[in-house]
Amino acid sequence: MPFRHAARRAVATAAVAALTVGLAACGSGDDSKSSAAQATPKVNPELKGQVTIGAVLPLTGASATIGKDQQRGIELAVDKINSGGGVLGKKLVVKVEDSEGQAASAVNAARKLVSVDKTPVVIGEYSSGNTIPIGQYLQQRKVVHINAGSSSPDIAKIGDFSFSVIGLDNIAGKFTAEKLVQAGYHKVAFLAPNNAYGTGLLKATRAALQQSGGQIVQSLLYTEGQSDYRQELQRLKSANADIVIYSAYGKEAATINKEAYQLGMDPRKFFGIYLTMCTTDSDPRAVDGQQGMDVNYIGPNGSAYKSAYEAKYGEGFRTSFSGYTYDAVTMAAKAINQAGSVDPAKIRDALATVGKRYEGVTGAISFDAHNQRSEQPYLIATMKDGKVSEEGEVRGPEA
Amino acid sequence: MLDFLLGVAVVAAIYGILAISLNLQAGATGLLNFGLVGFFGIGAYATGISTMHGAPWPLGMAIGLVLAAAAGAAVGRLGRTLAAEYWAIATLALAELLRLVALNTDSLTRGPQGISAVPGFFSGLGPQSRDLAWLGLAALVLALCWWVSQRVTGAQFGRVLRLVREQPDLAASLGHDVVGAKVRVMAISAPMAALAGSLYTHYISFIGPGQLEPFATFLVWTMVVVGGLGNAFGVIAGAAIVQLLFDVTRFIDDVFDIPSENAGGLRILVVGAALLGFLYFRSGGLVPERLRRIDARS
Repeated sequence: MPFRHAARRAVATAAVAALTVGLAACGSGDDSKSSAAQATPKVNPELKGQVTIGAVLPLTGASATIGKDQQRGIELAVDKINSGGGVLGKKLVVKVEDSEGQAASAVNAARKLVSVDKTPVVIGEYSSGNTIPIGQYLQQRKVVHINAGSSSPDIAKIGDFSFSVIGLDNIAGKFTAEKLVQAGYHKVAFLAPNNAYGTGLLKATRAALQQSGGQIVQSLLYTEGQSDYRQELQRLKSANADIVIYSAYGKEAATINKEAYQLGMDPRKFFGIYLTMCTTDSDPRAVDGQQGMDVNYIGPNGSAYKSAYEAKYGEGFRTSFSGYTYDAVTMAAKAINQAGSVDPAKIRDALATVGKRYEGVTGAISFDAHNQRSEQPYLIATMKDGKVSEEGEVRGPEA
Repeated sequence: MLDFLLGVAVVAAIYGILAISLNLQAGATGLLNFGLVGFFGIGAYATGISTMHGAPWPLGMAIGLVLAAAAGAAVGRLGRTLAAEYWAIATLALAELLRLVALNTDSLTRGPQGISAVPGFFSGLGPQSRDLAWLGLAALVLALCWWVSQRVTGAQFGRVLRLVREQPDLAASLGHDVVGAKVRVMAISAPMAALAGSLYTHYISFIGPGQLEPFATFLVWTMVVVGGLGNAFGVIAGAAIVQLLFDVTRFIDDVFDIPSENAGGLRILVVGAALLGFLYFRSGGLVPERLRRIDARS
């Protein structure tokens, strides 16, 4: 059988089909609920003209869930700004470009924003591997870069046009470790996704635990997107730790929590890093009594943000990342207003001033000498009857 | 605009190198390599790891080329025991294996964090001239690979490869070393993919396991199929068209008013539909392979 006529045709079709199906699967997010409630505030009719800034987010590909949630934060910020005074008396528009979760596409997306849309500010991305190349490109082009999703220490080295509104890995891990050891937990098991976020968190938590006298007796990094996590959970169960620290994205966390419950693991012995994200899709019974830490969404600014999110999208926070893009947009808007122009160098200087002390929905933001967020307030919370409620301290093992 | 187009062109040229590499394997020899991204990864990580330890860039690039040639030859030898379809599956598995190693050996590859801040070329130049220099370099390497590919397929060896593709048993009965031909073509083409990986890493200044997903292999396959399997000029055109399609569709939501939550997915849908349409109307590719006279001199 000649290769040319049969096999080759089949291979050609299969290859293209694999490509398109794979991408389409990534692209079709879970938008089932997003049309449930559209409580968008009205745009102020007095705003004339528009100011455009850009964002590069993983709207398709492996991190699409996070990218779409980052986009929600941007939409909420734009709604808020345009229902008020806008930017320089004009309407704010944020152009969002898809990075496909790939570094080359992310850089091309940033190139489009800078050279076609002429945006003075670009927000992005989620994974450090895409954020750093974007940041380096923007630095070359002298355009303001705001990182709202990555926590690699290398981001601090990009240059003077690059800002971070998200705290570094070590802050969340250190906070968790110290609180747990204080409450009397010493033997800890750890579960997180095997990606840059999960490994960074593990490293930070392990280091902080060692310093404060605790230890990780079992650490597992799971492959994202599995339909079953029993194998990982069995190993965690047999580790006999005092408590399981875990962090997982909405749908995956729901599977993990359900299966842990079925295996007879006590939800009270779980501690979720970014508890809202870990429990938002889970069955309330499977997570009842679970403890955790989260960004301060219950403070004066944060609670208004939380209700705006729920009103617009008809569900709780899907990940913990939308608040950071919200803060990135509102800070950029404030900086543009203060600079009185859309000149990137002036916005950079204004943003550094705004960032001396800014009350964001993710808590107080202040930049260090490298324009990186130096403080990140967290709070302790527990799950009660399907709701996240704030606690003063971590509940001890005996309670 | 120019800035954006230069970026698209450099990435397209790098994909063009990968397309030539795949075309030598799949187009000329009929080797269904579904693990092309593995060779790309060898080049990319050799560059990333060496520069991370302070080695000069030519060393990293050279290590990548040598390793890829050796790996290519080894994978080609697998063809001795495996029939074409099974060989295809084995290549997919090998590339996935490499990705998992990259993902899980923190000490060597920095694991899921990837290797960032890989030094780029032409850092002394201004932004615009740097982009132009990059385009020149990528085009030069592309031309070099195209020339090698033409030399290989134009010579007597190329005729053996095509015979191996169409009638492996006949080739063997005529006294040609089928496995040897596969080994040689893999050893020639795999370093091209590694070279593309090395260039990519220097250009983007980052390499991580996320770049080694099988998706990348299928993207190059699409380029080769759209351009015309078996025609080196065609596959370069295919790479340019597919890359352009991905980036031109960024303008869809500038022209039409699309609900933002669907914009990302819709763009990919348009790309998919355009590619399928392409195959429907030009199933042989943009520039199909020509039939050659058996006694033709190159």
